[in-house]
Amino acid sequence: MNLLDIRNLSIELKTKQGSILAVDRVSLTMKEGEVRGLVGESGSGKSILAQAITGILDDRWEVHADRFHWKNQDLLRLSPQERKSIIAKDIAMIFQEPIACLDPTTTVGEQLEEAVPNDQLTGYFWQKNKQRKLAVINLLHKVGIKNHDKCYRSFPHQLTEAFCQRVMIAIALARQPLLLIADEPTAAMESTNQGQIFRLLASLNQLKNMSILLISHDLENVTHWTNTITVMYSGQFVEAGTTEQIFNSPYHPYTKALLDSSPKANIELPPKSRLTTLPGSIPVLQHLPIGCRLGPRCPRAQQICVKAPKTTNYHGHQVNCHYSLKENY
Amino acid sequence: MARDKIYSEEEFPSPLQQLWSSFRQTNVAMLGFYGYLFLTALAILSPVFTPYNSMESNLDVLLLPPAWDSHGDVSYLLGTDSLGRDMLSRLMHGASLTFGLSFIVVIISLGVGVLFGSVSALTHGVKSSIFNHFLDVILSIPTLLLAIIIVAILGPGLSNTLWAIVMTLIPQFIHVTHNAVKEEFSKDYVLASRLDGASSWRILQYSVFPNIVEKIINQATLAQSAAILDIAALGFLRLGAQSPLSEWGAMLFSGLDLFYIAPWTVYLPGLAILFAVLTTNLVGEGLRHAVKMRKEN
Amino acid sequence: MLMFTLRRLSLFFFTMLLLSILSFSLSYFFPGDVLVNLSGEVNASPERLVLLADQYKTNGSIINQYIHYVTNILQGNLGVSMSSQLPNSDEIANFLPATIELSITALVISMFIGIPLGFIAAIFHRRKIDDIILSFAIIGYSIPVFWLGLFVILIFSIQLAWFPSAGNISLLFEIKQLTGFLFVDILFSDSPYKWQAFTNAFSHIVLPASVIALAPATVFIRLARTAMMEVLDTNFIQAAKTKGLTFTQVIYRHAIRNALIKMVLHIGLQFANLITFAMITEVIFSWPGIGRWLIVSIYQRDYTAIQSGLLVLSSFIFIVHIITDFIYAALNPLARENKHGT
Repeated sequence: MNLLDIRNLSIELKTKQGSILAVDRVSLTMKEGEVRGLVGESGSGKSILAQAITGILDDRWEVHADRFHWKNQDLLRLSPQERKSIIAKDIAMIFQEPIACLDPTTTVGEQLEEAVPNDQLTGYFWQKNKQRKLAVINLLHKVGIKNHDKCYRSFPHQLTEAFCQRVMIAIALARQPLLLIADEPTAAMESTNQGQIFRLLASLNQLKNMSILLISHDLENVTHWTNTITVMYSGQFVEAGTTEQIFNSPYHPYTKALLDSSPKANIELPPKSRLTTLPGSIPVLQHLPIGCRLGPRCPRAQQICVKAPKTTNYHGHQVNCHYSLKENY
Repeated sequence: MARDKIYSEEEFPSPLQQLWSSFRQTNVAMLGFYGYLFLTALAILSPVFTPYNSMESNLDVLLLPPAWDSHGDVSYLLGTDSLGRDMLSRLMHGASLTFGLSFIVVIISLGVGVLFGSVSALTHGVKSSIFNHFLDVILSIPTLLLAIIIVAILGPGLSNTLWAIVMTLIPQFIHVTHNAVKEEFSKDYVLASRLDGASSWRILQYSVFPNIVEKIINQATLAQSAAILDIAALGFLRLGAQSPLSEWGAMLFSGLDLFYIAPWTVYLPGLAILFAVLTTNLVGEGLRHAVKMRKEN
Repeated sequence: MLMFTLRRLSLFFFTMLLLSILSFSLSYFFPGDVLVNLSGEVNASPERLVLLADQYKTNGSIINQYIHYVTNILQGNLGVSMSSQLPNSDEIANFLPATIELSITALVISMFIGIPLGFIAAIFHRRKIDDIILSFAIIGYSIPVFWLGLFVILIFSIQLAWFPSAGNISLLFEIKQLTGFLFVDILFSDSPYKWQAFTNAFSHIVLPASVIALAPATVFIRLARTAMMEVLDTNFIQAAKTKGLTFTQVIYRHAIRNALIKMVLHIGLQFANLITFAMITEVIFSWPGIGRWLIVSIYQRDYTAIQSGLLVLSSFIFIVHIITDFIYAALNPLARENKHGT
């Protein structure tokens, strides 16, 4: 059963100069226990997509979708209040710089206690405090923090980034969510700490059967830790499929360029030669190309690319291109 | 947002032009700006335009109400005061006193304060620390109190008021400039200039000053509204402009005794002060808002 | 925390030193004889002059004089007022508590009006109520305080007769002076008309305190609005929203605390501004405070009184600054770290 089913989600920003389509008809599905990676450069709209799913965008953004189902329940028909309560119960999110995401003036312990929902605590009124504390200690142990005492009393600025990210994961776990959205969780850390956090996420996925949506721009890490991948470019859906399909046979020119530009793929190149990249850079929001937004940079673009391509599905490997690379494989 | 120029018809305005265009878009700020220009014109041109001499008293028309009142006379548009002097002329002349003087005060203190502030920001160590503590002490004394003390030393009078308020505004400019220059010096582009071999003075002139001009202008607008209020307050306390000078605060004080029977002698100068401070504050707010809009874009 | 206290105490000591040097030098700047300026006795006989010269060591070096000046102050001898020939310390002890009462009441009023309005303006940013509150703040900041005082007297005292316009209590009440703070004295006195005295004093303080409170309140509106907007933009408010807390919970538990912390330092700085307004308002409302005494002394060219008044008032403001620093450090754990002198 599909946990999350999104079809043709668009997010518009209303400005004085007109409305800008930041995310253009992206589709996403998540199954139970699946680890999906959402890959794209900065500016590809992946963070905005995640924020739209959890419902924390402010009034300037408008969200439209053909289909937005959670556990087969249509969320578009509900009022914002009901939508928020359903999402808050089952979806949790962790962010990029964990120290900045914690309140600097309250201790970590207090913030963890806040996150524990009331219905998890049984017992009478006076027992609730103690139970809350026990629940927090439990959560800290689950994310691998052994000496919970020190952690309880310290302020966020006294801890390291990796530590705070574990605390953020603990806060996210407090409500026992079915889906955890990780918005570039390791961007601010060194590689040793990155490995620790990914291992933690992988173990949570295996032990609790929790689905994870891992948003990143680091393709190597994502291919190592995920089952399926969705690639986005400049707010548009580009390609989606299992990790093996995307890694071994990328159908879209952009995905191929992404894979080609990583150092591992370029080991055979002679020394001191340029890495293979696509020319140009990601378009700015004020000047978005019509149709396929990769058009100006794509080596295989023809005139038909000014019309937005439709998604074609090859055995679960979806691609959004007029001239996909399927014939090469 | 800096990017390569790909589209030939696209223009990239300089930061100053961006500031002006966002300033223009805020209607309220433009209103304040026009009011400010009006007051400046009034301050400069008032001797030419006043219908009557502001110090000439006509004993036939004592305490005439403004023209819209039934007893008023349209040739004395805003009425007269207890010595028969025309209120409109006095108010216009007062613009050059209260408003014009505040402008001069701000220019003088800006010049001295920025100079001292940037020099003090270049020093380090114990000297700098002592100077900063000294500055903190001066800043903690309320400006009006300091101005009153200086006037008590020098004696009352309009020129002494000028010096007193200049002395109270200079520490504020020193403080703002010092902090701004210190902040800029810790940034990387100044480090790059230094590695190129630029002397401190050159760095100040070419790299730092263009970047702190906005903060200084911001402080200047705040200082001018404070200066207008202080000049008027000192005039009201009879420590500043002495009668028969038609400074707005002094006019307010002289109208106090007859407040009940001739309220216009009190509320007209008050409205003038309010208008002057309001336009200055609106211009200042508009500038701050424009800077913020430019940062967001 | 210990280092922080020590640093603040050293700053306090240094400031007191500078202030005393400043007020000592005033006796040289003011016209007239230095000894007369220092002691205040205008009509002293020649023998008295010799005694005073010995007390203030005017025959010695300047540093000697300064040391004796400070010793005199620490012993409580601030000289004698030139106009009334009463000891300055008595006059100050009479008037200072009334000013403290008035300014603290005004500060409290301005905080309770300004800060919530600023928070509301920030929460409803870009909507009408934000514009209304901002316009009110700008207009309120531009009104000259003396004009406002006169207008308030005209409307509320003369036309509507709701509040009295002069003094701090009606002369019919006889309250024995214990501490100098009127409200405290009323509570401690054994007069049979305690409750009436209290309401009477209250009605006297409302108008002047509100007049003083307007300009600082508008400043607080702006400060609170900026602080709250900065806080609402930060990452952790977004993260707190995803935690499952409702918006009001987020505001009350996290946003307000962080915004207040950003503002606390500025509250202390506003106090100096407030004292300035208090001085002018005391003159208009004939409030028996130190501001009015100081201004009257200036009219009368009472240099000794001006010196001592300046010293006491500035020390008071600086003590309030230091207290605000301590409150700030107590609230914000980040501020207890190393901070070099500003």
